Amino acid sequence: MPITRRGLGLAGLASSLPMGLATPALAQNEPIKIGWLAAMTGPSSAPAIGFNRGVVWAAEALNSAGGVKGRKVEIITRDTQGDPTKAVNATQEMISQLKVHAIWGPTNSGESLAVTAIMARGKMPNIHPCVVDSLIDPQKYPNAFRIAPSNTQWDDAVRGYTLNIAKAKKVAVIGDTTGYGVTAANASAAGFQKDGAEVVYKANIDATQPDMTPDMLRARNAGAQAIIIWSVSTGMIARMLNTRATMGWDVPFIGHPSLASGEIGTLIEKPANWDKVYAIGYKSCSYDASGKLPPRNEELLQRLQGKVNLQDTLLWWVACGIDAVNLVAKAVEASGSSRNEAIIANWNSLQRYPGYFGEYSFSASDHNGYPVSDVVMSAASSGKNGTFALAPGYG
Amino acid sequence: MLASILASGLAVGAVYALIGITYNTMYLTSRVMSFTAGQLGMLGGVFGSLFVLRLGLPVLPGLLATLLACALVGVVTEVVAVRPVLKSLDQHLYVLSTLAVALLIQHATALEWSTEPQPFPRLLGLGAGIWDEKYWLPVAACIATIIGLEYLYRRTLVGRAFVAIAEDNFAARALGLPERNLRIASYALAGAVGALAGFAGGQLLLAFFANGPLLNFYGFIPVALGGLGNNRGAVIGGFLLGLFQQAANFMVGGIFSSVAVFTLFIIVLLIRPQGMFGAPAARRV
Repeated sequence: MPITRRGLGLAGLASSLPMGLATPALAQNEPIKIGWLAAMTGPSSAPAIGFNRGVVWAAEALNSAGGVKGRKVEIITRDTQGDPTKAVNATQEMISQLKVHAIWGPTNSGESLAVTAIMARGKMPNIHPCVVDSLIDPQKYPNAFRIAPSNTQWDDAVRGYTLNIAKAKKVAVIGDTTGYGVTAANASAAGFQKDGAEVVYKANIDATQPDMTPDMLRARNAGAQAIIIWSVSTGMIARMLNTRATMGWDVPFIGHPSLASGEIGTLIEKPANWDKVYAIGYKSCSYDASGKLPPRNEELLQRLQGKVNLQDTLLWWVACGIDAVNLVAKAVEASGSSRNEAIIANWNSLQRYPGYFGEYSFSASDHNGYPVSDVVMSAASSGKNGTFALAPGYG
Repeated sequence: MLASILASGLAVGAVYALIGITYNTMYLTSRVMSFTAGQLGMLGGVFGSLFVLRLGLPVLPGLLATLLACALVGVVTEVVAVRPVLKSLDQHLYVLSTLAVALLIQHATALEWSTEPQPFPRLLGLGAGIWDEKYWLPVAACIATIIGLEYLYRRTLVGRAFVAIAEDNFAARALGLPERNLRIASYALAGAVGALAGFAGGQLLLAFFANGPLLNFYGFIPVALGGLGNNRGAVIGGFLLGLFQQAANFMVGGIFSSVAVFTLFIIVLLIRPQGMFGAPAARRV
């Protein structure tokens, strides 16, 4: 029989039909691919290293238990080095070539600002822990979900503690001169004023300024009863704490999580300089007066023991990484599909999902999943295995 | 308040003055403004912390090791970033090459050392309050450097050779002076002076990779104010800058103190473009 072009075309079409029919079966067996945009190296790598420990542990735990409906969880990591350009490239690779089912990360706002719109265009389910408020907008980015507090939630927690527990009504708000420091200090000052407190001093200090005496003197002379800090600069914070001690002033410092950074412990002149310093922390990762974490995380600590190093990281980073992987896995398990729409629809319906870092709730109109009530203040100098003691005043 | 302004103003002013001298030392033998000067100051703090705090060396051997390490960085700068562009000084390629080396040093330090400020050890354990060693050590280091350089330039053969090269490069070479070796030596010397600035000011500035650009900028101002190549001008300019900056910190605070410093800088240069102590450049017509 002669072979014609029409015959060859029809034969090709016929032979491709069974392949088309086989696709769902293939999807049921292929691994659940989770893209992980991690700044594993570079200047801001500490959080990603902590998150990664949780991610790896969670994937191994799921796979050793048989996976999700028989499907293995595969983590595909790309090191963005904290560089938005590299994050953009990695995102495009994950969407176009690697065909991941969901993306976890990036874990810093600068990178996230660069990739959020790209993920939205690709309808890629995305969860991240970045704090910048504008990163979550269900209208513009219906695929993006936050599983950590936003800047506003941090601000609310700091203001709530200062006004209601520390009972300070006159505050000095101090940020560094970075974009974040200026924005955060302005927002914080506006929030205090809105709540009837008096912002007696507000400043943005160059983080490399060697002497903090001028600003601390001005704050004291203005009558500040608490110093509110919005900066990631441990050098600046340590200098301010040393200056406070030199001045013999026992004003409390309240604010950014960096107040509890271990680096500060090495920079202060004596350990007592770190007293009366309260940093943003999380209820799930804070121990009470008896030294106990909430039961769910006590159990997690037991499970992590010997497998995940918590000495040089924070428990909330590890717990958040675990939750991110579990949220994708649960969405696939509950919806029975790893299609983008199925995962997003499942997340939109979550109410008080019991993660290790927090109990997440999302809806179609609210993708800020972390409850503000779980944001608490920690005693900054009380770090132990990546956890902190609750600041005084909590029942 | 006045005591505090004087103590910290003189201390940071001394550090700026030493960085200004670092600029001048490199400039005199090569006619190149090497923007690695601030990074040498930063490395002085980092190496000091590394040798004394992390490796546990006593202070004096730690200081010597720091000076040697930074002298080596100075020599590498001369070989890598200065020598290749000397033939085309009029094209100012040295701006690019020395800035590239400066960036390289900064990023390497960030990656290998830390991106967070690290503690710098207490060196002598002397003084408290405004008499704390962190305030007077940089001043003492600055005075010692001035005396040492004056002695070098006036009383030693090598120092006179430096001056000869600085005065007239071509004539000095015609007389048989080893211009290249002297230039290498001056870059090593500049490295050591920069290192001393960072080491003496380490308790104030900490061992922090981001100090490099800060010292580059604020160390350049005394050079511009005092007149390029004029060490005495750089010292006076450095102390004035430190005092003015600290006073501005107290008076207007934060970001505005930097604005005040640069406003004054521009005003001085508008009035005396050659710097306060520099002579107007003569041009043969």
